[in-house]
Amino acid sequence: MSRRVVRRALTGYALLLPSLIGVGCFLLLPIAVVAWLSVHSWNLLGPVRFTGWDNWRAVLSDRQFGHALVVTLALTALVVPIQTVLGFVVAALLARRRGGTALQVLYALPWMCAPVAVGVVWQWVFAPTGGALNAVLGRRIEWLSEPALALPSVAAVSIWSNVGYVALFFVAGIRAIPADLLDAGALDGAGGWQRIRFLVLPLLRPTMFFVLVTGVLAAFQTFDTVYALTKGAPDHRTDVVAMRIFSEAFDAARPGRAAVMAIVVCAVMMLITVLQHRYFRDRTGYEY
Amino acid sequence: MSTERTERRHRGPAVSRSAAAYLLLCAGALLTVAPLVLSAATALKTPGQFATGSPLSPPNPVTGANFHTVLHHGLGRAVLVTALMTVFVTGGQLITSTLAAYAFARSDFPGRDALFWGYLGTMMVPPIVTLIPLYLMFAKLGWLNTFWALVIPFVFGSPYAIFLLRQYFRSIPAELLDAARLDGAHTLDIIVHVIVPVSRPILATLTLITVVSQWNNFLWPLVASSGETWQVLTVATANLQTQYNTQWTLVTAATTLAIVPLVLLFLIFQRQVLRSIAWTGLK
Repeated sequence: MSRRVVRRALTGYALLLPSLIGVGCFLLLPIAVVAWLSVHSWNLLGPVRFTGWDNWRAVLSDRQFGHALVVTLALTALVVPIQTVLGFVVAALLARRRGGTALQVLYALPWMCAPVAVGVVWQWVFAPTGGALNAVLGRRIEWLSEPALALPSVAAVSIWSNVGYVALFFVAGIRAIPADLLDAGALDGAGGWQRIRFLVLPLLRPTMFFVLVTGVLAAFQTFDTVYALTKGAPDHRTDVVAMRIFSEAFDAARPGRAAVMAIVVCAVMMLITVLQHRYFRDRTGYEY
Repeated sequence: MSTERTERRHRGPAVSRSAAAYLLLCAGALLTVAPLVLSAATALKTPGQFATGSPLSPPNPVTGANFHTVLHHGLGRAVLVTALMTVFVTGGQLITSTLAAYAFARSDFPGRDALFWGYLGTMMVPPIVTLIPLYLMFAKLGWLNTFWALVIPFVFGSPYAIFLLRQYFRSIPAELLDAARLDGAHTLDIIVHVIVPVSRPILATLTLITVVSQWNNFLWPLVASSGETWQVLTVATANLQTQYNTQWTLVTAATTLAIVPLVLLFLIFQRQVLRSIAWTGLK
């Protein structure tokens, strides 16, 4: 190798050094520790014991963890389609209208706010006495402690936070579509709905892909909102996996089992992403 | 052509349909903002008015007493800690990410691309996975419940930031960098005097994104700090809620304090924020 190449390599690695330290210490090392923890038993204080597959067996037969996965999938299935459809509707109405940007700002406001603070605000909105929602409805509904209502209420808060954010992406996507194309569609006699169905939606596939993938990943990791609203109550109806991992590690003091759960969650998320990737590639012929 | 187009558009229905669209949009916007506005209004009420009046009534008389109380119960310090943490992390991320993104975008050395994609792959690991080991590592080092515990895991940049900057740096014309190099500029000179000035929009975007995510960060500060000394705003808000259970005038005062600074930031930089989102979503 010539001296020039060596010098360039040295400069490159020197520039990367701080970031590599960050990734090494706070991402790769923790991942190795997770793998190590998953085959050890420990209560955060006493001695560490190698236990092989015991944690794995315990977690995979743990009904509560299975239940948490189901709750998380249900939350994701509620939140992502609704926020995507609502976000698209808002964007379709906003994108080519005067004053669209000002309204966009209002819609995006909740997304800027800390999810925990949002959760606390909504705890007040949902409060049986003194809460805003029951005051509007003139009823006394236990939004968060009624088992059948708890998960939909949590989902509603997530949807509320995300609609404006999703709409921003769709607005950007719609604005990128050349006006001539839509006008040509109108000339060919396509009505509003037909133009959306056959022109706008196909052209928005990359945006759709992005919104769905990031939406699913975010919904699957929901923690802050649940922590502020219900902490998994009532009767574990809102006990999402992130909440389960957190309480397994810090309340039950079983970091080994929590590590196994974390690995399972990570695997599920990767699987979901790959499936979505496949779906979009097969349906659209696009390569992402 | 144009006459045909105007003929096809029936003006009457189009106008009423547009009015309906606006009505729908405004109703939606109102619904979106209402919880925030109502809770801020509640924070300005006296406990007496809150107990007797409707939650929807405007505050009368307006009082700042709730804010006074929560600020004196740890929230004042939490605001400072959060602001300081946000400044440190944002500064660190900007510097380290700029250096790394330049290396990935503009240097040529063996292993660069493999390293970049490996780096990007780490974005797939959710924070909850690394939470427990990070906690254990910091406990082992005796760093829990210090200011550095809040800052260190985030200060060395993020794959996301590096990705965003790399995309931008790649679009800078090569002639610009070559000219500087011919003038004898070294890599750092080029980054500081050529790359950074032309990358202002994306750096502003990244600053906003980092400030927002750091100000709102909850999970790591929740486990990394205990007690009031290094409590951040999000954790303090969650704790106040448990502490002042159903004293909603105090609880809403706390959430208003946690939310308002970012809302202001958003309103001031809304153009930038909207553009930044378009950037991140479409690239």
